[in-house]
Amino acid sequence: MLDLIQNTIDGVMIGGAYALLALGFTLTFGVMRRLNLAFGAIVLCGLYAGAAAHQALGWGLLGSIAATLAVAVAAGLYVERLCFRALAESASIAAMVSSFAIWMQLEEIAALLMPRRTYAYPALSEARPWEWAGLSLRPDQLAMAAVALGAMAALGWTLRRTRFGLAARAVATAPLAARLAGIEPARIGSAMFLLACGLGGLAGALIAAVDSQVTIKFGMWAMLKGLVAMTLGGIGSIPGAVIGGLALGVIESNAQWYLGAEWRDIVAYGLLFAVLYWRRGRERPWTNS
Amino acid sequence: MDFYLALLQVIGIHALIGLSAYVVILTGQVSLAQAGFFAIGAYVAGMLTVLAGWHLIPALLAAGLVAGAVAFLVGFPALRVKGLMLVVATTAFGEAVRLFFFNFDYQVAKGGVRVGPLGGEGFKQIRFFPENGYTTLDVLVFIWVVVGVVMALLWWMDRSRAGAVLRAVGEDELAAQAMGIDLTAVKVAAMTAGGVIAGFGGAIYAHYTTHIEHFNFGIVLATFAIAYPILGGLSTAFGTVVAVLFIQGLLIEGLRFLGDWRNLLFGALIVLAMNLRPHGLLDAATTLRLRRLFGRGGAGRDA
Repeated sequence: MLDLIQNTIDGVMIGGAYALLALGFTLTFGVMRRLNLAFGAIVLCGLYAGAAAHQALGWGLLGSIAATLAVAVAAGLYVERLCFRALAESASIAAMVSSFAIWMQLEEIAALLMPRRTYAYPALSEARPWEWAGLSLRPDQLAMAAVALGAMAALGWTLRRTRFGLAARAVATAPLAARLAGIEPARIGSAMFLLACGLGGLAGALIAAVDSQVTIKFGMWAMLKGLVAMTLGGIGSIPGAVIGGLALGVIESNAQWYLGAEWRDIVAYGLLFAVLYWRRGRERPWTNS
Repeated sequence: MDFYLALLQVIGIHALIGLSAYVVILTGQVSLAQAGFFAIGAYVAGMLTVLAGWHLIPALLAAGLVAGAVAFLVGFPALRVKGLMLVVATTAFGEAVRLFFFNFDYQVAKGGVRVGPLGGEGFKQIRFFPENGYTTLDVLVFIWVVVGVVMALLWWMDRSRAGAVLRAVGEDELAAQAMGIDLTAVKVAAMTAGGVIAGFGGAIYAHYTTHIEHFNFGIVLATFAIAYPILGGLSTAFGTVVAVLFIQGLLIEGLRFLGDWRNLLFGALIVLAMNLRPHGLLDAATTLRLRRLFGRGGAGRDA
């Protein structure tokens, strides 16, 4: 029982970061109806920039996170202009293939500029884990979950309470009607895309800061986790992305503990398959959040 | 010379995985599971020739059958969903297959050496070609005979009723359903055919490299598989082969002189190609023009 509780705590902590990654996908998909395969590579570029700032310029945690966010958004702008803005709405698969090509390109740039396998990222906290009644809780993981929760609350507030959020929800619900009301779907789409890249960068920075390192494989990993978490919660739904992220974290940590590390991802994928089968892949309207 | 032969071998293998995705994409489904079927074909054929001592040709057929059977079984649940959800579901399947082989051990002692798949270390010494004295040219001919057979079958299918049915489902599911077409049956059939072709490709790949590892079959290969038919255009199966020539021949090998910077231009050129030709290099209009050029099929079929 104690193990189950401990695993669930650990899972919720990492699940917060998964939820942020899933939100990145959900925002782009909700407004643009397109899949951005370069998402993980965008996050990776940001993280490498953060690690470079830490190593070469000696920046601390906040500086590195700022560098990560800035470069992730810049890389996002590049992807958006090349793969999504340039291609007509009807060519959504062509946009996906283009984003795949840019994924390869961004990863190559990162590997060329910083050829080592791993780079140090400033740690979130050096504090020792708190122990209580046989359970332990890492302060840095708690901080990660708290920041993720704060970011999600800010996002929810933006979508509900600001004019930009209203316009974004209008575009997601009915692009044509939104256009008639004087909203430019393309501009809202770009802004949401960049916001999604920023969220992805934040999620990546939190995970890298907990691990105090970043590897070249992070991009692929982040993309898979984000996709799976988004789909688990129901594609297109913002609360769904959060629930999916938390659920993925809890399932993974329990599967790893009870079945062994090699089963962790297989269980997650099997569950995803089951959820898709059961839900028949119904899309939840993005705006009912 | 050997360099060009080896390049043509790679192109043949990639043509097979591209064609496997082409069949599925004809029905409007984007599947990232093709690398998984490719992996199954590679491991099945490798185990049959190395552990059971089969000849490559029956092993190839068996690999196609097993991969096709798995595609059939996966097709039923997976094809209940479509669009982005299918992309995610098939990605999950492909990754699950890769992880399965990452943990898969089945070793047998043969002639004092232990052979067979060994988890993360992969499956080494799949030496059917060298043991039977195949030269590079022989292997090349073998690969392209298989590609030729698959292309001929696809060409024949495209001219038959089956091709029309597949395209009808791809163009407009509702209209196809109204014509009495069973959508699930068509999609699962396309998925199964794609699985068989990918299984052939994997079987050849395993014997071509002689050493396979789980990470050969990841999401990158799966995405390449769907990039070929999309980039080549869905008018004919030739488009897929043209796209493989374009990517593997021109972009990857042709730009090799750029060294490490190759991938940067590679990405940019694919984006450029997709922007200039969103319906593929060989789109419907180009196909028609080519047909007229060769004086066939013009008026009656396309007018």
